[in-house]
Amino acid sequence: MIIRILLLVGLAATGWLIFLRRNRLPIHIMTVFGLLVAGGAAVIFPEMTQKVAELVGVGRGADLVTYIAIVAVMFVLLHYYTKFVELQRQVTELTREIAILRTEVDRVAPPAPEPKPLQARDERVDQEAPRLVAGDDRV
Amino acid sequence: MPTDRSATWVVIAAFNEGKVIREVVGEVVRGGWSVVVVDDGSKDDTAEAARVPGAVVIRHPINRGQGASLQTGIDYALRRGARYLVTFDADGQHDAADIPVLVEALADADVALGSRFLGRVEGAKGSRVAMLKTATAVSNRMSGMKLTDAHCGLRAFRREAAPSLRITQDRMAHASELLRKIKTAGLRVVEMPVTIRYTEHSMSKGQGGIQAVRILFDYFFRA
Repeated sequence: MIIRILLLVGLAATGWLIFLRRNRLPIHIMTVFGLLVAGGAAVIFPEMTQKVAELVGVGRGADLVTYIAIVAVMFVLLHYYTKFVELQRQVTELTREIAILRTEVDRVAPPAPEPKPLQARDERVDQEAPRLVAGDDRV
Repeated sequence: MPTDRSATWVVIAAFNEGKVIREVVGEVVRGGWSVVVVDDGSKDDTAEAARVPGAVVIRHPINRGQGASLQTGIDYALRRGARYLVTFDADGQHDAADIPVLVEALADADVALGSRFLGRVEGAKGSRVAMLKTATAVSNRMSGMKLTDAHCGLRAFRREAAPSLRITQDRMAHASELLRKIKTAGLRVVEMPVTIRYTEHSMSKGQGGIQAVRILFDYFFRA
């Protein structure tokens, strides 16, 4: 069956990516591989999920898998939302620190005025062309 | 009470207020107060305009919200030795003549909150007043305080109260956050009458009903 092959390939690819980035604690890696093996087993022996479902009081094996997946996704979302809020807080702290530092630096050592943008070429030629005027010392 | 007005720092958070900020800052500076304007990454000339009347201008390189900007200004004012801190809106809705009233109230209070409903509201539509009263009722429920106006941007507090009042709500929920922190820290708080002048400009930057939902979300689910 094609679907089984697709699912197994997906699980195997996930496992391979995690193996490549194995800079985590062994306990994390073991947990993830445990989950992948459980997933693989559920693909190869679907009857198994049916038995577990009956054991915990769910009608069908597929339903049990769906429920677990939803809870897992919500957990992951919450995890990243928490990280996101924390990152926002850190960005604010850094912004504040930079803004105050810059103000204080400018107070002690005022910066030179910002460069004026270059004018269009024609106008510049007009303005900067040396004018030959009688009495001009430079002439 | 304070004779030296320069020891009172007025913190103004401004975002794209180039049109009005010069006049607003000018009014406060003429009162003799120290002024720090936090330009929250404006796209217009807010920073330059605020410098003209003589405010210290701090620029957030990226926009972080009103709550974040106020806290930046407060941190800066504390560094400069502020004894009293005042928050003041940039859009011209406050009256600089109300600042001494709030600061003098700090003689026997840690925090003085402005109340437009003890004072006067100019140019507001009935719908806005109704929304603000509803917000105040909700806020009183949440904070357990009995205020007449929970979301007035004009407030004053003592230097010593600042550590208890650190704002972590970057956006608009900081107003409710402050009330909660006042309550938790057991600070002495008074409400003083102030005048709010709604103009077309300040109305355009005000908070509508949809923002109210966002503020509540921020309050409960952030930081």
